[in-house]
Amino acid sequence: MTQGFTHGGPSAETDLFGPDPGTDPLAYYRPQDPGADLFASASATTSAAWRAFAGGLSSQCHCDLASLQPYLDSLVEDLGLAFRMTGDEHERPWPLNPMPIFIDADEWEAISAGLIQRAELLEQVIADIYGPQKLVQGGQLPAAVISGSDNFARRLVGRKPTGGHFLHVYAVDLARGPTGEWRVLADRGRFPVGIGYALENRQAIGRATGGLLASVGVRRQGGFFDAFRQGLAASCERADPRMALLTPGRFNQSYPEQALLARHLGFSLVEGRDLTVRDGRLFVRTIAGLKRIDALWRWLNTRDIDPLAFDARSQIGVPNLITAAEQGLVLANWPGAGVVESRAMPAFLPRLARTLLGEPLKLPNAATWWCGGEQEREHVLANLDKLVVSSAFRRPITGLPDGHTRAGASLDADDRAEIERGMALRPMDYTAQEIVSLSTTPVLADGRFEPRGFTLRAFLARDDKGEWVVLQGGFARVSEQGNLRTSLMGMGDIATDVCVVDPAAPKVPAEVLKPAKLEIRREQGLLSSQAADNLFWIGRYGERAHQTVRIIRALAEQVTTAGQTPAASSTVNRLANLLRSLGAVPAKSENWSLARLAGTALGSLEQSGSVRSLAERERGIAQLLRDWLTRDSWRSIQRTMPKYVPGDLDSMTLACDRLVERHAALSWLLADGMSRGPAWRFLDMGLRLERGSMVLQAAQAVVPGSASASDLSALLDLVDGQALYRSRYLTMPYIAPVFDMVLLDPAQPRGLAHQLVRIEEHLAAIPPLDDNGMPEPPVRLARQLRVRLEGLDANVLTGADLDSLRSDLAALSEAISKRYFLQEDQSPGKSHVRLLA
Amino acid sequence: MIYRVRHTSTISYAAPVTQAQFNLRLVPWPWPGQELQGCQLRITPTPALRQQAPGPYCVNTTHIGFARPLAKLEVTSEFTMAIDPPPMPTDGPVDARLRTEAAGVADLSVMSPVPYLFASRIAGIDDEIGSWAAPHLLPEAGVVNSVSSLMAAIHAEFTYSTTATTSATPPEEAFARREGVCQDFAHIMVMALRSHGIPAAYVSGYLRTLPPPGKPRLVGADAMHAWVNVWCGQDLGWVGFDPTNNCLAREDHILIGMGRDYADVSPIDGTFIGNAPQKMQSAVDVTLAEESALTPS
Repeated sequence: MTQGFTHGGPSAETDLFGPDPGTDPLAYYRPQDPGADLFASASATTSAAWRAFAGGLSSQCHCDLASLQPYLDSLVEDLGLAFRMTGDEHERPWPLNPMPIFIDADEWEAISAGLIQRAELLEQVIADIYGPQKLVQGGQLPAAVISGSDNFARRLVGRKPTGGHFLHVYAVDLARGPTGEWRVLADRGRFPVGIGYALENRQAIGRATGGLLASVGVRRQGGFFDAFRQGLAASCERADPRMALLTPGRFNQSYPEQALLARHLGFSLVEGRDLTVRDGRLFVRTIAGLKRIDALWRWLNTRDIDPLAFDARSQIGVPNLITAAEQGLVLANWPGAGVVESRAMPAFLPRLARTLLGEPLKLPNAATWWCGGEQEREHVLANLDKLVVSSAFRRPITGLPDGHTRAGASLDADDRAEIERGMALRPMDYTAQEIVSLSTTPVLADGRFEPRGFTLRAFLARDDKGEWVVLQGGFARVSEQGNLRTSLMGMGDIATDVCVVDPAAPKVPAEVLKPAKLEIRREQGLLSSQAADNLFWIGRYGERAHQTVRIIRALAEQVTTAGQTPAASSTVNRLANLLRSLGAVPAKSENWSLARLAGTALGSLEQSGSVRSLAERERGIAQLLRDWLTRDSWRSIQRTMPKYVPGDLDSMTLACDRLVERHAALSWLLADGMSRGPAWRFLDMGLRLERGSMVLQAAQAVVPGSASASDLSALLDLVDGQALYRSRYLTMPYIAPVFDMVLLDPAQPRGLAHQLVRIEEHLAAIPPLDDNGMPEPPVRLARQLRVRLEGLDANVLTGADLDSLRSDLAALSEAISKRYFLQEDQSPGKSHVRLLA
Repeated sequence: MIYRVRHTSTISYAAPVTQAQFNLRLVPWPWPGQELQGCQLRITPTPALRQQAPGPYCVNTTHIGFARPLAKLEVTSEFTMAIDPPPMPTDGPVDARLRTEAAGVADLSVMSPVPYLFASRIAGIDDEIGSWAAPHLLPEAGVVNSVSSLMAAIHAEFTYSTTATTSATPPEEAFARREGVCQDFAHIMVMALRSHGIPAAYVSGYLRTLPPPGKPRLVGADAMHAWVNVWCGQDLGWVGFDPTNNCLAREDHILIGMGRDYADVSPIDGTFIGNAPQKMQSAVDVTLAEESALTPS
């Protein structure tokens, strides 16, 4: 699609009317200061890449550049859908711009060299802080700059990380000045936040533009993640290590990114409660017992990581994790590495580079003054108008009550007096930085290219030899407003992909290239006990919602026979009672109209058993299963309720029809799309247990008194059995044949007996904990129950039989939960005692 | 002065808990002027795992773990301590100079003032507490006098009440209500001093149970006590101030540990699996060695 644009240089098509804006839209891009613009000042090769890409975009959307944004947004949504929920706090906070930033390979090489030097410098600084502390004793690094950081882990002084590296992965914020010089704005030693978005942005742009990126010669990024993975593995003691990503949980702002990274790297996504330390080794609790973990990419702050080593109040950490780390567990990054993130640290790095590396910084950081020094403090106060002032350790401080950076020039007399007062008492809490002007880049806004300031986050990781590799490109943010052109804008509101243009890069899309070496595997990742638990319950909630919809539909359909008053029919009464016992409508609803009953059972948020509440629960659990569900299943679960007119039974019946179809589609997706591993088995067991339980409850609702043909017909509807019944019996429904079909016939796919057959199959296929040859309790219970059903005769089935079947089914669910899932009381408790006056 | 200290803590659970692990911080840290003469830590039942390590602050941490379900834990710490009180401090440098001196100390160790300059999780930097303390901490006043004045103010303006707060009450809340126990007073004083750039540490320890003849019994003598160490310049070093009793911590105070706040030196914390409610009892007896020789018990 790009032929004709690839070579569209400025001299190619000039005629009387100038270049064609359709094929060369950047020809009309006019930055105020061309020397300070990435495109306008680019080399001929890179400039050609910019124009070719812009031309390709334009031709792709038939010269309607404004139409690109919604298309790209939908792609991003699609890609990220497995990891985000629309409208929740995890939603992606900023749109992706269709126009990437193109950086010349030579320029990128220079940046990379500077980044690698900086990573090596920081590694040495951290190693000294947690080792001999010569820099402090020698006066090159003030003790207060270290002690002041919340990320300093005094507990780990004297400890060395397994594998020897404090930093395995590292991110840097960069700004490009108006004359093309790059400066470091900030270092990130704890978590490379944004790395997942860099990955996602590239995927989205790649999808949106086909082979366009490769055709203009953009370096690929895949090797970086392989290198990181292999680098971590190389630090491990075992040859084929098991690695996991430790997340604070789904409420963490960065959870979607963590889930995406875990999936991309093939790491298990684990929370603290999935893990346990025994005899100095770290294990994950799985359905097959404890499995050893060799390396953990931790996305938890050091103070939360181990309640016995740091903050005893932490509920998300793992007791004795630090002991495990001292005995061979690889932690990336090593706890306490974040000490280099303090805003005061860059003030000392230029000198430390000379001391430790014997050379100046290749990539300078923005000039920084730490006010803990008397001379520096005086300099800052004398030049405040030209500087930005910050909280050295990112805490709220006097004059900066939210801890945010402010420009000295923007302070009024009162603000300034506050800062001076604070600085007099606690000068070590303040730093100041020069204001860095930014160069601009073309951004697509409202269908036109406009110059905007940008900052870039770059990412580094160690490979299997311990050498640093740089992600080719990164994650840039540009400002929504055109006039913000200094580092003060912070990270902007719009994201863009960053591409390194290299004429030597392969010209075929990444997907075409084979990975260098990948071992073929068939088993799925570890199924942690917690994931099994969630899969089981998503199966149960999904099916309960489905069956509730069927009951509501059966109820709504009674209107044709019974009219609007429920008392008119025993079937209506029985169905309404069933909804009451399921908590879909309130207990006191005897006098409600059919429409009110159906509307409440469908859409009420107050009723925990309503379809809407059940769907919410289902969605909530689905969030915890982002790394297990296929994208299509996820999408299906995330769909909102179909619209209906409250009070209008016809529209509610229609909504029920659509919900039943959706559930059928979802079951099919799950049945067809999930690999036949334990994950699928737990989900399907949950579904089948719930289906069995719902059938029993429906049967119980029919049993009291004498069931009419209409009651039995409704029961048949619930199990989708009308057609089969008629073909089998050629008569109106009678109780014994109906009960045989819905409860005892193992060939009826929605009947109880069939569910037990399937559950037993699943349980038998899951590896046992002990190899003593004995079936485990859940297997035994499932077998008993199935055999019991085989021996029952529908003609003599009593209400007592139904009651005892239901309690047996509940016992089976309990046994499954006890054997495979984390017990409620297995989450670490806390002892916090008072022993003083 | 030679003391015998006996401290028994008992934790019992309504139902046995499993995988119980604790950090005990009961073995005295070697502190200048204090000489430990024999120390015993008895733990019942015997833990499967027991390790003692110094740190991360001026505190000895005994890490214990149990392999079997635990229904009741009893810990008894017993030791003899000879105290040679430091000379009465002179007034030391003025606050302004002390501030500069402290921030410039090129030492990261636990005796350095630097770790105690900054906000910790319980004892943050609080503008309100800082402003309240400001009249006592004038830049040109000598540090020992100004800190003494702050201590006297806490003693005078705050009500000692064992029911007003728990160990989890934030010091800001105790400050707002002007009441609490030694832990609250020590935290408030630490926060006030840190807000003014003066290094202050939280100390846990014991008081002598019976006062010298003719003197009142000290408050907090029947349990573990908390007070404040303030760094008063290179020459004076750390000086102990007890805001609960409005006195310097000298020969009546036995230091067990010093940290940034209670969490660093709390006598016992840990994790276990189980939801059982727990009950905690504690008994402290601090006697003069000569006394106990006269009245053997």
